[in-house]
Amino acid sequence: MDYSNLRRQAASMKKGLFDQGHLDEQFRQVEDLQDEASPNFVEEVAVLFFKDSGRLISNLEQALEKYPRDFNRWDAYMQQLKGSCSSIGASRMKSECMSFKDNCGKGNVEGCMGCLQKLKREHAILRQKLESYFQLLRQAGPTGAATRPVM
Amino acid sequence: MASNAQGSHMKALLVEDAAVETLFHSAILHMFHCETTVAKTGKEAVDLFLEGKKFDIVLCEKEMPVMNGLEAVEKIRAIGETDVKIVGVSVDCNAMEAFMSAGADVFVPKPITLDVLSAIIQEIINKKNNAMV
Repeated sequence: MDYSNLRRQAASMKKGLFDQGHLDEQFRQVEDLQDEASPNFVEEVAVLFFKDSGRLISNLEQALEKYPRDFNRWDAYMQQLKGSCSSIGASRMKSECMSFKDNCGKGNVEGCMGCLQKLKREHAILRQKLESYFQLLRQAGPTGAATRPVM
Repeated sequence: MASNAQGSHMKALLVEDAAVETLFHSAILHMFHCETTVAKTGKEAVDLFLEGKKFDIVLCEKEMPVMNGLEAVEKIRAIGETDVKIVGVSVDCNAMEAFMSAGADVFVPKPITLDVLSAIIQEIINKKNNAMV
Protein backbone atom coordinates (compact mmCIF):
# COMPACT_ATOMS: atom_id res chain seq x y z
CA MET A 1 0.00 0.00 0.00
CA ASP A 2 1.27 3.49 -0.84
CA TYR A 3 1.36 4.98 2.62
CA SER A 4 2.96 8.24 1.51
CA ASN A 5 0.09 8.79 -0.92
CA LEU A 6 -2.40 8.15 1.85
CA ARG A 7 -0.62 10.65 4.05
CA ARG A 8 -0.72 13.19 1.24
CA GLN A 9 -4.43 12.61 0.85
CA ALA A 10 -4.93 13.04 4.59
CA ALA A 11 -2.91 16.26 4.59
CA SER A 12 -4.94 17.55 1.67
CA MET A 13 -8.16 16.64 3.42
CA LYS A 14 -7.07 18.46 6.54
CA LYS A 15 -6.08 21.52 4.53
CA GLY A 16 -9.52 21.48 2.99
CA LEU A 17 -11.12 21.46 6.44
CA PHE A 18 -9.18 24.60 7.31
CA ASP A 19 -9.67 26.30 3.95
CA GLN A 20 -13.44 25.69 4.05
CA GLY A 21 -13.64 27.11 7.56
CA HIS A 22 -14.71 23.94 9.31
CA LEU A 23 -11.62 24.03 11.55
CA ASP A 24 -9.54 26.87 12.94
CA GLU A 25 -6.12 27.20 14.55
CA GLN A 26 -7.36 25.69 17.79
CA PHE A 27 -7.41 22.29 16.09
CA ARG A 28 -3.64 22.62 15.73
CA GLN A 29 -3.43 23.21 19.47
CA VAL A 30 -5.16 19.87 19.94
CA GLU A 31 -2.73 18.26 17.51
CA ASP A 32 0.20 19.69 19.46
CA LEU A 33 -0.92 17.68 22.45
CA GLN A 34 -0.60 14.39 20.57
CA ASP A 35 2.62 12.55 21.26
CA GLU A 36 4.04 9.06 21.55
CA ALA A 37 2.34 8.56 24.89
CA SER A 38 -1.03 9.63 23.40
CA PRO A 39 -0.74 8.71 19.71
CA ASN A 40 -4.50 8.92 19.08
CA PHE A 41 -5.24 11.94 21.20
CA VAL A 42 -6.71 14.07 18.43
CA GLU A 43 -9.10 11.35 17.37
CA GLU A 44 -10.05 10.67 21.00
CA VAL A 45 -10.92 14.32 21.49
CA ALA A 46 -12.90 14.34 18.26
CA VAL A 47 -14.84 11.20 19.19
CA LEU A 48 -15.65 12.67 22.59
CA PHE A 49 -16.61 15.99 21.02
CA PHE A 50 -19.11 14.46 18.61
CA LYS A 51 -20.62 12.28 21.30
CA ASP A 52 -20.92 15.19 23.71
CA SER A 53 -22.08 17.76 21.19
CA GLY A 54 -24.68 15.33 19.86
CA ARG A 55 -26.05 15.02 23.37
CA LEU A 56 -26.03 18.78 23.90
CA ILE A 57 -27.82 19.41 20.61
CA SER A 58 -30.42 16.81 21.53
CA ASN A 59 -30.90 18.40 24.96
CA LEU A 60 -31.28 21.78 23.32
CA GLU A 61 -33.91 20.50 20.88
CA GLN A 62 -35.86 19.11 23.81
CA ALA A 63 -35.50 22.37 25.69
CA LEU A 64 -36.80 24.36 22.72
CA GLU A 65 -39.91 22.25 22.78
CA LYS A 66 -40.37 21.85 26.51
CA TYR A 67 -39.46 25.40 27.53
CA PRO A 68 -40.80 27.72 24.83
CA ARG A 69 -39.22 31.18 24.78
CA ASP A 70 -36.98 30.32 27.75
CA PHE A 71 -34.05 32.13 26.16
CA ASN A 72 -31.93 32.04 29.29
CA ARG A 73 -32.16 28.28 29.43
CA TRP A 74 -31.55 27.91 25.70
CA ASP A 75 -28.56 30.23 25.98
CA ALA A 76 -27.12 28.21 28.84
CA TYR A 77 -27.27 25.00 26.80
CA MET A 78 -25.63 26.69 23.87
CA GLN A 79 -22.90 28.18 26.09
CA GLN A 80 -21.60 24.73 26.88
CA LEU A 81 -21.66 23.65 23.25
CA LYS A 82 -19.88 26.83 22.25
CA GLY A 83 -17.14 26.05 24.75
CA SER A 84 -16.58 22.57 23.35
CA CYS A 85 -16.57 23.86 19.77
CA SER A 86 -14.00 26.47 20.77
CA SER A 87 -11.73 23.94 22.42
CA ILE A 88 -11.55 21.64 19.41
CA GLY A 89 -11.52 24.36 16.78
CA ALA A 90 -14.90 23.57 15.23
CA SER A 91 -15.14 27.00 13.70
CA ARG A 92 -18.38 26.87 11.69
CA MET A 93 -20.20 25.15 14.53
CA LYS A 94 -18.93 27.81 16.92
CA SER A 95 -20.22 30.54 14.62
CA GLU A 96 -23.68 29.00 14.64
CA CYS A 97 -23.53 28.76 18.44
CA MET A 98 -22.77 32.46 18.60
CA SER A 99 -25.57 33.29 16.16
CA PHE A 100 -27.96 31.24 18.25
CA LYS A 101 -26.92 33.11 21.40
CA ASP A 102 -27.37 36.42 19.59
CA ASN A 103 -30.87 35.40 18.65
CA CYS A 104 -31.55 34.42 22.26
CA GLY A 105 -30.47 37.88 23.27
CA LYS A 106 -32.90 39.39 20.78
CA GLY A 107 -35.71 37.07 21.81
CA ASN A 108 -35.94 35.78 18.25
CA VAL A 109 -37.43 32.28 18.31
CA GLU A 110 -37.32 31.77 14.54
CA GLY A 111 -33.74 32.92 14.46
CA CYS A 112 -32.84 30.41 17.16
CA MET A 113 -34.60 27.61 15.31
CA GLY A 114 -32.81 28.49 12.08
CA CYS A 115 -29.44 28.56 13.79
CA LEU A 116 -30.05 25.23 15.41
CA GLN A 117 -30.82 23.63 12.06
CA LYS A 118 -27.64 25.08 10.59
CA LEU A 119 -25.72 23.89 13.61
CA LYS A 120 -26.99 20.36 13.15
CA ARG A 121 -25.95 20.44 9.49
CA GLU A 122 -22.47 21.70 10.34
CA HIS A 123 -22.17 19.07 13.04
CA ALA A 124 -23.03 16.30 10.59
CA ILE A 125 -20.70 17.66 7.91
CA LEU A 126 -17.75 18.04 10.26
CA ARG A 127 -18.35 14.62 11.76
CA GLN A 128 -18.37 12.98 8.33
CA LYS A 129 -15.29 14.84 7.14
CA LEU A 130 -13.26 14.18 10.29
CA GLU A 131 -14.31 10.53 10.30
CA SER A 132 -12.97 10.21 6.75
CA TYR A 133 -9.82 12.06 7.73
CA PHE A 134 -9.08 9.85 10.70
CA GLN A 135 -9.84 6.75 8.66
CA LEU A 136 -7.23 7.85 6.15
CA LEU A 137 -4.76 8.56 8.91
CA ARG A 138 -5.28 5.11 10.36
CA GLN A 139 -4.71 3.55 6.96
CA ALA A 140 -1.62 5.66 6.45
CA GLY A 141 -0.18 4.78 9.85
CA PRO A 142 3.06 2.81 10.03
CA THR A 143 1.37 -0.37 11.17
CA GLY A 144 -1.46 -0.03 8.71
CA ALA A 145 -3.82 -1.41 11.30
CA ALA A 146 -7.08 0.43 11.61
CA THR A 147 -9.28 0.24 14.65
CA ARG A 148 -12.55 2.01 14.26
CA PRO A 149 -13.78 4.13 17.14
CA VAL A 150 -17.46 4.87 17.24
CA MET A 151 -18.09 8.50 16.45
CA MET B 1 7.49 25.55 24.94
CA ALA B 2 6.82 22.93 27.58
CA SER B 3 10.55 22.45 28.19
CA ASN B 4 10.66 25.56 30.37
CA ALA B 5 8.22 23.94 32.75
CA GLN B 6 9.80 20.51 32.75
CA GLY B 7 10.32 19.20 36.23
CA SER B 8 7.82 21.63 37.64
CA HIS B 9 5.64 18.88 39.16
CA MET B 10 3.00 21.37 40.08
CA LYS B 11 -0.33 20.38 41.52
CA ALA B 12 -3.18 21.59 39.39
CA LEU B 13 -6.89 21.61 40.07
CA LEU B 14 -9.08 21.65 37.00
CA VAL B 15 -12.62 22.73 37.81
CA GLU B 16 -14.65 21.85 34.74
CA ASP B 17 -17.81 19.89 34.00
CA ALA B 18 -17.59 19.66 30.22
CA ALA B 19 -16.01 16.39 29.06
CA VAL B 20 -14.24 17.73 25.97
CA GLU B 21 -12.68 20.63 27.80
CA THR B 22 -11.68 18.40 30.70
CA LEU B 23 -9.83 16.10 28.30
CA PHE B 24 -8.23 18.98 26.45
CA HIS B 25 -7.19 21.01 29.50
CA SER B 26 -5.96 17.92 31.35
CA ALA B 27 -3.72 17.15 28.39
CA ILE B 28 -2.32 20.68 28.40
CA LEU B 29 -1.58 20.46 32.11
CA HIS B 30 -0.02 17.04 31.62
CA MET B 31 2.25 18.50 28.97
CA PHE B 32 3.53 20.87 31.62
CA HIS B 33 4.07 17.95 34.01
CA CYS B 34 1.28 19.00 36.33
CA GLU B 35 -0.29 16.48 38.67
CA THR B 36 -3.93 17.23 37.88
CA THR B 37 -7.05 16.73 39.94
CA VAL B 38 -10.43 17.28 38.31
CA ALA B 39 -13.49 18.69 40.07
CA LYS B 40 -16.74 18.75 38.11
CA THR B 41 -18.44 21.40 40.18
CA GLY B 42 -17.42 24.41 42.19
CA LYS B 43 -18.53 22.58 45.31
CA GLU B 44 -16.18 19.66 44.63
CA ALA B 45 -13.36 22.14 44.23
CA VAL B 46 -14.12 23.92 47.50
CA ASP B 47 -14.45 20.59 49.30
CA LEU B 48 -10.97 19.59 48.15
CA PHE B 49 -9.54 22.69 49.78
CA LEU B 50 -11.62 22.10 52.91
CA GLU B 51 -10.11 18.60 53.06
CA GLY B 52 -6.70 20.21 53.21
CA LYS B 53 -5.62 19.56 49.65
CA LYS B 54 -3.11 22.01 48.30
CA PHE B 55 -2.72 23.18 44.72
CA ASP B 56 -0.35 25.50 42.91
CA ILE B 57 -2.82 26.43 40.20
CA VAL B 58 -6.57 26.24 39.73
CA LEU B 59 -8.17 26.44 36.30
CA CYS B 60 -11.79 27.24 37.00
CA GLU B 61 -14.65 27.32 34.48
CA LYS B 62 -17.43 29.81 35.18
CA GLU B 63 -20.58 27.88 34.38
CA MET B 64 -21.07 24.64 36.27
CA PRO B 65 -23.92 22.90 38.03
CA VAL B 66 -24.39 22.88 41.83
CA MET B 67 -21.87 25.71 42.37
CA ASN B 68 -20.51 27.90 39.63
CA GLY B 69 -16.90 28.97 39.24
CA LEU B 70 -17.36 32.48 40.58
CA GLU B 71 -18.83 31.26 43.84
CA ALA B 72 -16.14 28.59 44.12
CA VAL B 73 -13.37 31.16 43.70
CA GLU B 74 -14.92 33.38 46.37
CA LYS B 75 -15.18 30.51 48.79
CA ILE B 76 -11.65 29.26 48.12
CA ARG B 77 -10.28 32.70 48.92
CA ALA B 78 -12.58 33.05 51.92
CA ILE B 79 -11.15 29.94 53.56
CA GLY B 80 -7.71 31.50 53.44
CA GLU B 81 -6.29 30.04 50.26
CA THR B 82 -4.69 33.23 49.09
CA ASP B 83 -1.48 31.81 47.59
CA VAL B 84 -2.92 29.48 45.00
CA LYS B 85 -2.96 30.92 41.50
CA ILE B 86 -6.56 30.93 40.31
CA VAL B 87 -7.19 31.21 36.61
CA GLY B 88 -10.76 31.90 35.63
CA VAL B 89 -11.69 30.48 32.23
CA SER B 90 -14.81 30.92 30.17
CA VAL B 91 -16.01 31.09 26.61
CA ASP B 92 -17.80 34.23 27.78
CA CYS B 93 -15.25 36.99 27.24
CA ASN B 94 -17.26 39.27 29.53
CA ALA B 95 -16.54 37.02 32.50
CA MET B 96 -13.22 38.67 33.31
CA GLU B 97 -14.55 41.36 35.62
CA ALA B 98 -16.68 38.88 37.53
CA PHE B 99 -13.79 36.48 37.99
CA MET B 100 -11.40 39.19 39.13
CA SER B 101 -13.99 40.50 41.58
CA ALA B 102 -14.43 36.98 42.92
CA GLY B 103 -10.71 36.73 43.62
CA ALA B 104 -9.16 35.13 40.56
CA ASP B 105 -5.63 36.16 39.68
CA VAL B 106 -6.11 36.09 35.96
CA PHE B 107 -8.81 35.42 33.39
CA VAL B 108 -8.21 33.47 30.21
CA PRO B 109 -10.91 33.28 27.58
CA LYS B 110 -11.55 29.88 26.07
CA PRO B 111 -10.04 28.28 24.16
CA ILE B 112 -6.93 28.15 26.27
CA THR B 113 -3.75 27.93 24.24
CA LEU B 114 -0.45 26.33 25.14
CA ASP B 115 1.38 29.66 24.96
CA VAL B 116 -0.94 31.37 27.41
CA LEU B 117 -0.88 28.57 29.94
CA SER B 118 2.86 28.14 29.56
CA ALA B 119 3.43 31.75 30.59
CA ILE B 120 1.19 31.40 33.64
CA ILE B 121 2.84 28.16 34.74
CA GLN B 122 6.32 29.59 34.23
CA GLU B 123 5.37 32.50 36.44
CA ILE B 124 4.34 30.11 39.19
CA ILE B 125 7.56 28.12 38.85
CA ASN B 126 9.64 31.28 39.05
CA LYS B 127 7.78 32.37 42.14
CA LYS B 128 8.30 29.00 43.79
CA ASN B 129 12.00 29.03 42.93
CA ASN B 130 12.41 32.53 44.32
CA ALA B 131 10.66 31.52 47.50
CA MET B 132 13.14 28.67 47.98
CA VAL B 133 16.19 30.95 47.65
